[in-house]
Amino acid sequence: MSDEKKLLEVKDLSIAYQTDLETVHAVNHVTFSLNQGETLGLVGETGAGKTTTALGIMGLLPKRTAKITSGNVYYEGKDLLQCGKKEMLGIRGSSISMIFQDPMTALNPVLCVGDQIAETLQLHNAKHLTREEIEAKVDETLELVGIPKERKKEYPYQFSGGMRQRVVIAMALINDPSLLIADEPTTALDVTIQAQILSMICELQRKYKTAVMMITHDLGIVAETCDKVAVMYAGEIVEYGTLEDIFTGDRHHPYTVGLFGSIPSLTRSARRLQPIEGLMPDPTQLPEGCAFAERCRYCQEICRTTKAPVQNDHGHLVRCYFEGQPFAGEED
Amino acid sequence: MTKFVVKRILYMIPVLFGVAFLVFAILSLTPGDPGTIILGVTAKPENIAALNHEFGFDQPFLIRFFTYMKNLVLHQDMGISYQYRRNVWTFIAEAFPYTLLLAVLSMIVQSILGVSLGIFSAVRQYSTLDRICVVVALVFASIPGFWLGLMLIMFFSIRLKLLPVFGAESLAHFVLPTLTVSLTSAAGTLRLTRSAMLETIRQEYIRTAQAKGASERVIIWKHALRNAMIPVVTSLGTGFGASLGGAIIAETVFSIPGMGRLMVNAINQKDIPMVMGATLFLAFIFSMIVLLVDILYAFIDPRIKEKYKNGGRHRE
Repeated sequence: MSDEKKLLEVKDLSIAYQTDLETVHAVNHVTFSLNQGETLGLVGETGAGKTTTALGIMGLLPKRTAKITSGNVYYEGKDLLQCGKKEMLGIRGSSISMIFQDPMTALNPVLCVGDQIAETLQLHNAKHLTREEIEAKVDETLELVGIPKERKKEYPYQFSGGMRQRVVIAMALINDPSLLIADEPTTALDVTIQAQILSMICELQRKYKTAVMMITHDLGIVAETCDKVAVMYAGEIVEYGTLEDIFTGDRHHPYTVGLFGSIPSLTRSARRLQPIEGLMPDPTQLPEGCAFAERCRYCQEICRTTKAPVQNDHGHLVRCYFEGQPFAGEED
Repeated sequence: MTKFVVKRILYMIPVLFGVAFLVFAILSLTPGDPGTIILGVTAKPENIAALNHEFGFDQPFLIRFFTYMKNLVLHQDMGISYQYRRNVWTFIAEAFPYTLLLAVLSMIVQSILGVSLGIFSAVRQYSTLDRICVVVALVFASIPGFWLGLMLIMFFSIRLKLLPVFGAESLAHFVLPTLTVSLTSAAGTLRLTRSAMLETIRQEYIRTAQAKGASERVIIWKHALRNAMIPVVTSLGTGFGASLGGAIIAETVFSIPGMGRLMVNAINQKDIPMVMGATLFLAFIFSMIVLLVDILYAFIDPRIKEKYKNGGRHRE
């Protein structure tokens, strides 16, 4: 894998939200990388810092409150955090695109969908396309995401949730970006539409060799779409590896084990799910030691006082003293 | 859309009829009769009775009302002013242009100042200039109109001798009245625009536009403004309609012979046909302005246009 070109490299990224009253440590020393055409799954529960990480890469963090306290984000070798405002405008929407969680609110209600898709192209019109060429490209992209081109003059309220997400995807892909950040692209959709949208993203990804950063809390989606997986907890990546490492390997972070224990299974005999007891630690007061210690059943004294080093097993990284715990479901 | 407009114009008929009845009833319930008012309390009772008979004031209330409405609808006749013995319409036709000019000028100044500073304030929220805008807006919103008018006269007319003190002969005469009316109302527009913009720029689709690589300018003018304009247009529209009723304070301070002064004068003299005529005329104009604002919504928001196509009902 190391001979492949690294497209995105996030190194030691930390982001905090500061208000007058408190500081929320949303993302803490996150490191991962993504190669061309690859899909990385960023998994974790609500509030783990997945979206903040994505917004940090895009340079779209709220200006007044969010502070990047450490780290670098290299895109094709260039540090995005050092880029000027103008340079970032040129990168957003052309080289790096983003799909948001809720298609019902992600589209401007007063502009017709064709114009909204065309706008992405017009903003980065590197090939100096004429108006007719832009229209043709919009038609082509609409067909690509499965929307009849006759509907481009319609407004978002005339589309269903799934169709709107197709519009959002068309908007994100019209400039053939090399990196697509999909922030829970199917969470707001019902199950049958989820499958359609996911397979469409995968198909387009293969076609255009786009790298995808798939943010989700759904391990099923990860299993279907991802090459690499990063499991996030309380702003940290607690486990990182290939899809095989995470799903079949036998050394895991207890949080990953807990995540798998919380999914209903069709193959196992019907038993109660095993939820992870407790809540994520308060991000304004993260503990000294391991952030998961409070909820971990393997927790020892050392876990509460010092952060575990990252154990590296051929690229499969686990941040735990006692990694190697079997999956909860395989215990007996 | 045509169906919607026709329907709304038909709705105006009961509204205007209701306005006419209410005003007529209130005027009739208050004591006093035109004969006494015109001839004075010392006049001979038979002269007063003769004059009242001439005006039809000796008839019962309902008959007077329906006679008035019949003349108005069938003959477009607003009746004769008790005070001046001339057709009411001639007075309205004289006074309304002054009021219209003042209202249009104030509207323009109010929109330009209020909307542009409101956008600016929202985009640069918490900046020093935003704070200044908010405080200045609060000050102007709190200043009574007559005091502002007098201060403007003192400064621009008496001290600097730049502008005329009162009257309505030239455009220069309208500068200070326009400022008096528009500065206080622009303050409200600024605050409304600011809060509408602040709410809009926190919407998800603004982040989508940012993710597309749109610059701040494109985001404000193309994506945010139109979405924030609905409440602002509503308030500007109704404000404009109301100011056509005459800016009574500004017209009094600057001696402009507009609708406001006409109405106050007519009410004082219990000139029933004049009050009725002016009120109905303004109610009609106001309803038309509200209708225009509603039509304007359709051009701002396609969802509202769709609603209108269904004859004003939501499609569920």
